[in-house]
Amino acid sequence: MKQAFIFLMVLFLVGLMAFWGLSIGSFKASYTDIMQALLHYNPDNQVHFAIVQLRLPRLLLALLVGGSLAFSGYLMQAMVNNALADPYILGTASGASLGAAMSIGGFILTSWGGLYLPPLFALAGAFLVTLLVIALGYRKGQIIPSQLLLAGIAVSSFLTALLGLFTFLSGSESALRSILFWSMGDFGRADWHLLPYPAAGLAIALGLFFFLQKELNILLLGAERAVTLGVPVARTRWLMLATVSVLTGFSVALAGSVGFVGLIIPHVTRGLLGLTHKLNLLLCALLGGLFMMGCDILSRLIYPPAGLPIGIITSFIGVPFFVYLLLKKSYKFN
Amino acid sequence: MSIFAISFFYRRFYFFLVLITLVLNLACESKKTSPPQNGFILVTDDTGRKIKVPQNPQRIMALAPSATEMLYAVAEENTIVGRTQNCDYPDQVKEKPVVNNYPMDYEKIVLLKPDLVFTVEGITSAEVAAKLQDLNIPVYFQKFEKVTDIFRGLRDIGRLLHREKAAQRVIDSLGTELAQLRINKASPKLRVLAITWHDPIFVFGQNTLFTDKLRYLGAENAVTEIFAQPYPALTREYILKLNPDVLLGGTPAEMETTFFQQYPELKKINAYRHKKIFAPTDNLMSRPGPRVVESIRELKSFLAL
Repeated sequence: MKQAFIFLMVLFLVGLMAFWGLSIGSFKASYTDIMQALLHYNPDNQVHFAIVQLRLPRLLLALLVGGSLAFSGYLMQAMVNNALADPYILGTASGASLGAAMSIGGFILTSWGGLYLPPLFALAGAFLVTLLVIALGYRKGQIIPSQLLLAGIAVSSFLTALLGLFTFLSGSESALRSILFWSMGDFGRADWHLLPYPAAGLAIALGLFFFLQKELNILLLGAERAVTLGVPVARTRWLMLATVSVLTGFSVALAGSVGFVGLIIPHVTRGLLGLTHKLNLLLCALLGGLFMMGCDILSRLIYPPAGLPIGIITSFIGVPFFVYLLLKKSYKFN
Repeated sequence: MSIFAISFFYRRFYFFLVLITLVLNLACESKKTSPPQNGFILVTDDTGRKIKVPQNPQRIMALAPSATEMLYAVAEENTIVGRTQNCDYPDQVKEKPVVNNYPMDYEKIVLLKPDLVFTVEGITSAEVAAKLQDLNIPVYFQKFEKVTDIFRGLRDIGRLLHREKAAQRVIDSLGTELAQLRINKASPKLRVLAITWHDPIFVFGQNTLFTDKLRYLGAENAVTEIFAQPYPALTREYILKLNPDVLLGGTPAEMETTFFQQYPELKKINAYRHKKIFAPTDNLMSRPGPRVVESIRELKSFLAL
């Protein structure tokens, strides 16, 4: 009962946070304006236009990216059975940053036929690198978690060096700052037509793993015991990996690589509901989204109008909270 | 609510910073040069650094493209011993040996043996200047916030190089041209937004030379708020609210397929609706040098004044 209450509480907070977020921006908007913009949208009214076309997609993107990263982190920690895992151990983030940086710096195309290419190159970089890491991390059709971890770390370090090189070689100060925004995350390019991809990805993933939750929980006991308990370990791991790749890929392609949310939110979730509660996955995604919206709002309040790169805020808020959680709760991963 | 307090505090803080800079700047105006010792004199540059420079500099160079243009306007050409990889104006400069300024090529600059080096604040770091100083190469920083600061900068270079007359000739002719271009237009002033980057959208802020250039044309920078960074990042919403009359950043065709393709919401701004979109020459916009009047002339042609 207590768990259900927590869940409803978080859901309520998401709504509240979104409403608060809608009131913040360059145009002054009262809560009446927001209600009117949502219920009787008038595109010729500048305030309505800003709320519906600019603020709402930005908040939704933060919600989806936060949700996707937190959910991916949860899966990843379960898969490699390691409390330190996050969605980026597959090299996704460094691949995406590298793709974007190469495009921004003009080393490959920046735009083509009116299409702005950095997000596409980020997506390509994310998937190519993830595939490479997976290729290095499996043997005889089986994912070997420890090998996958090491491959991810090795490839990421290599790509970080490459990213450094392209950052160094990029011509202008503006390009430099743009690359920084990419590698620390930014929701500034949010747009309605971009939202369906991460939304569909997250919805499908949540639906899928809602049915596989039992397998997930058994995997936490270790692969050998999972096999004896009848869990198709290899197949489950492939599914998890595919899901994490797609969700993380979309997230970093749209918002850059926002750090920390994928690491801490799964821990917060388990701290709130316990190790194996059936609402864990859903709550994890919601908490991730809530946290990300909050960080985005905070970043814009501290440094208006465009906000600080979001990764700075997530670390500033996330890390102390994480440490507090570790110290306060007698919380264990498994 | 503490967040509001923080934001408020930051704005106050920056206002305070700007104020201090202004006061310091005024203090620097009265530059004192001490009597010569062993062929060297002690001077104070625009950033308040006290440096020992030769009484008669014979080998000079600049570490910024705009400063190189300043030297070519005032100094004797054969005293200029080098240039950076980015210096490309005037054409003759391309014959001079190149010293990489980022990362600083210390060996090459030592090889060229300049006895005085000019640069612009923000282009050369304090660390690089200190190291050059250790190598017995004095670095003179200049700082330009207004168009008239450039004239003062030319005069300073003239004085240090004993080329006062040459400097005065340049200043006089630039001053005459500027007076001819000047427009004291009554309100409403055209509000101009100049962007330097699309993602995130970086623009020329209020505390840039661009703002002062527009003042000569009876127009104004659409960005009136003072940000910590000279080229702040703005949101689409902020630009919608600014609603600039003129947008600088690329030709209409370029902007249509890049900027407005990426941010169709911004098609609502006046500049787009009235087709007031122009591509200023990058070097003229970004270099605080003797071509500042040429830059103002170009801006005037965009404003169709």
